[in-house]
Order: sequence, then structure tokens, then C-alpha cells
Amino acid sequence: MLFVILSGFAGGLAVGAGLVAFLTVLGILPRLTQLSKTIKFLKWYEWAVVLGAVTGTIGSLQDPILHLPAFLLIPMGLAGGVFVGLLAAALTEVLNVLPILAKRVGIQDKIILLLMGIVLGKVFGSLFQWIYFVDR
Amino acid sequence: MEKTIYIRMRTRLHVFPNQSVYLKDIAQIISSEHIFQELSMLPVYKVSPKDNNLIVLDIMKVIGFITERYPAIEIQTMGAPQTIIEVVYKRNKLSPVFVVLIWFLLFLGAALTIMNFHEDVSMQEVQQRLYTIMTGKYEAKPLLFQIPYSFGIGLGMILFFNHLFRKRINEEPSPLEVEMFNYQQALDQYVAVNENKESIKQLDDH
Repeated sequence: MLFVILSGFAGGLAVGAGLVAFLTVLGILPRLTQLSKTIKFLKWYEWAVVLGAVTGTIGSLQDPILHLPAFLLIPMGLAGGVFVGLLAAALTEVLNVLPILAKRVGIQDKIILLLMGIVLGKVFGSLFQWIYFVDR
Repeated sequence: MEKTIYIRMRTRLHVFPNQSVYLKDIAQIISSEHIFQELSMLPVYKVSPKDNNLIVLDIMKVIGFITERYPAIEIQTMGAPQTIIEVVYKRNKLSPVFVVLIWFLLFLGAALTIMNFHEDVSMQEVQQRLYTIMTGKYEAKPLLFQIPYSFGIGLGMILFFNHLFRKRINEEPSPLEVEMFNYQQALDQYVAVNENKESIKQLDDH
């Protein structure tokens, strides 16, 4: 019994540390605070991440049913999408794809074009999947 | 006597083929007025057709040229120890077809990767469950969540790169620009060491 509690706690510790390490490497929180110039609220943002992770865990383990109106899913979807978009952008940036590609093909001044290609590609791919692809 | 001059090498210089490079092109100079004119027109390099498109001019060479002409002068140097001269050949314009091709490559690549990611993490199932948690009903295609989500992805990426279709959200450079700068810096550093014949001395040099 004690062993189960201990190993559960250890597993949670590892996963939590992993999540925070991942977010730190990608630097999404610093990026957001820098954009909005709200460094002094950084503590709150950290807690938002922690509470979000705990809420998500409870939600996926307990299957609660809240009986809320469906339209609340719209802002949730948007927020979730923005977060995934930030993740995707940060990942692209860490991998250093765009600078090298732009340099190789010699269109450094049109890098925004490449960026828009990727952004629109992501939006299109996602819409295509949910509206059409999942039925096939 | 004002016999000290200060020079600071510029980091990069663009020149045309067959152009002569003068001291004022590759360095900032501070000196007494009566030699300034002469000093700034001191030829230090002549670009020839057999040069590669990158030439590294070491500060030691420049000091050599100056002391040859003005032996009594004392030279104080600051900043980078070399200038990278980039010869700008007339580049044939990248054809629009090529640009469109690359654009579609990125577009389809991005679309495929996001779809693979969603499949990988069973996004559909998670979203169906989220729908059930929120409303208590089952929905095979929770589009109410998924469509804002999809646009959110695009918004998040634009937010990260701080570009709203050519329009800035604020003045800071975007991570992409910083990344471009870092990449260029690393290239310059490599070129400065490896293209510079003076900085590496082979043992069996004959």
C-alpha cells in the first residue's frame, strides 16, 4: 500500500518535472511575458501552468461531468489552440529550420513568406483533419 | 605630437567585383586632421575575379599597410580583429516558381506534421472526452471546440513570432530575427577563422 502511494508520487513527480522542463526549454512563458510586458505577474503564470496540469490530470482520471453550456468550448478551444500554436512555433524555432532554409535559398528578405506558409499550413491541416479526415 | 590613430574594423563589408577597398571602407578611423584624408584613402585590398565571394582581411595586415606608409605612427585598435568582405556578384533573381514551390513544401509539410501530431496524441479522443466533461453529451465531432482550436494554432504561432502579416505587435525583434542574427554571427565567426590564412598555421607549411 505504502509502496503504491510512493511509486505513484514518484511517477507524478517525474512527469511534472518533465512538463516544466519542456516548457522551460521552449520558453513560452518568457515569450508571453515579454510580449505583454508583465514580468511582475510571472509567478501567477507559473501557478496557472501548475493548476492547469493538475486540473487536467483530475479531469482525465475522474471523468467528472459539469453540465455546462456548450458554447464555453469555443474560448477553451481557442486558448488551447493558441497554446499548441505557441508550442509548434517554439519547436520550429528551436530546431532552427527557418534561418537555414532562408539562407540556403537566398530569400532572407522574404522570410515572412515562409513563416506564413507554415502558419497557414498548420491551420489548414488542422481544419482539414477535424472536418474531413476523421470521417474517412 | 598627435601621432596616435585609432582604428576599429567594421564587421562586414559588401563590395562589387573588381572594386578597390580603402581603409575608410573597412574601418572607422580617428586621427589628426592632416593625415585623415590620406589615411582614409589608403588602399588595402583590390578585389580580383579569382577571389571567392568571402574575403577575410586581418587587422595585422591593415596595421602593416599603415606602418609601411607612416612608420612613426602609433596605432590603437579596438573591436573586431578582422573584417569580412563579401563580394556581391549579380545574383540571378530567384524565380517566383521556385518561391511558390518552397511555399507549398512548407505549407503541406506544416499541415502534415500537425495532423500527425494530433493522431499521435489521440487529440480527437481527448476533445470528445472534454466535450462530454463539459456538457454531459457525447459528440463524435466536437467541431465547436475544434474549429476555434485550429485558428488558435495559427494565432499562437503568429503571436510567438510577433508578426501579424507584416504588422508588428511591438518593437522588439522577433525570436526569428534573433535566430537569423545568431546564425549569421556563427557563420561569420567560422569564416573569420577558417578563411583567414593568417589565423591557422600548418606545421608542414612549405
